[in-house]
Amino acid sequence: MSELLERWLGRATKGLSSDSRLQVWAEIWAHYESACEDALAAGASEADLDRAAVASLGDAAAANREYRKVLLTSAEAALLRETRCGLWSGSRRWLWLLPTLILIAAVRFFATGDAYFGWTMLTGAAGFTLLFSAFKLPVFTPNRGRIFRALRWLWLAAILALTMKGSWLLLITSAWPLFWVEWKLSSLRRKLPVSRWPKQLYL
Amino acid sequence: MNLRGTLPTLILEALEQEPKHGYRIAQRIKERSRGVLDFKEGTLYPALHKLENDGLVESYEETENGRQRRYYRISRVGRAALAKDRDEWRTVSRAVTLILERG
Repeated sequence: MSELLERWLGRATKGLSSDSRLQVWAEIWAHYESACEDALAAGASEADLDRAAVASLGDAAAANREYRKVLLTSAEAALLRETRCGLWSGSRRWLWLLPTLILIAAVRFFATGDAYFGWTMLTGAAGFTLLFSAFKLPVFTPNRGRIFRALRWLWLAAILALTMKGSWLLLITSAWPLFWVEWKLSSLRRKLPVSRWPKQLYL
Repeated sequence: MNLRGTLPTLILEALEQEPKHGYRIAQRIKERSRGVLDFKEGTLYPALHKLENDGLVESYEETENGRQRRYYRISRVGRAALAKDRDEWRTVSRAVTLILERG
């Protein structure tokens, strides 16, 4: 590979995930080879080939900005790996202890006449059941995924409102990491064609 | 000439007849515009990825002259988008011509 092209690719793929980088390297390399072949056939001198082919690609920094809008960056790929945790898969059966214990607590609160804590616990148990069984639900189409996420946000809003008794400042400050992750995931949903969505992007 | 904003439509037009790989798409646009529309080819692939993400084109791998290439083909949604873009372009083009050629 020519040194000029290698330098161009290095700058154009800066910050992209390893899969995205490989994809860009393969397509630009194939493009470069075709351009060189056509230029040779048209009688161009070998000395000018490399420079002309790389120049026709344009500014590498501008290409990098465009690539970052449509391909996964390394930070986004890391986020996808992190959200792929077994928490959702239902493979860790001991996790079901959590909604079960919360449900038992809810029943106890209702029995002792404390309806407020009873409802809080019941909402919590319902939400965790929804989250832990997500992988077994038929939600893996874009529209169903949207409905599932709307339900999950409703649950989160309800549980936060109940536990913090309407302290909006506290609610927003404690929930901002969730908003941040959801914002990043929605950006990933725009970047990847639906056919290549991993399961966690539907949820 | 600056292609800003029109590149996705030109790509869809280049794919209307048959699937092509990136280099052939770039060549097609240059040839069809008789060299007037020249653009930096590094921006072609991000535009192709965007079209693919939006479901307007689909891609697949194929071997050409012993070399693995990624081919792109226009989807049904892409054809509908191209038809809409064509209509809009004709309307805008007629309006601008009316204004610029008046005097």
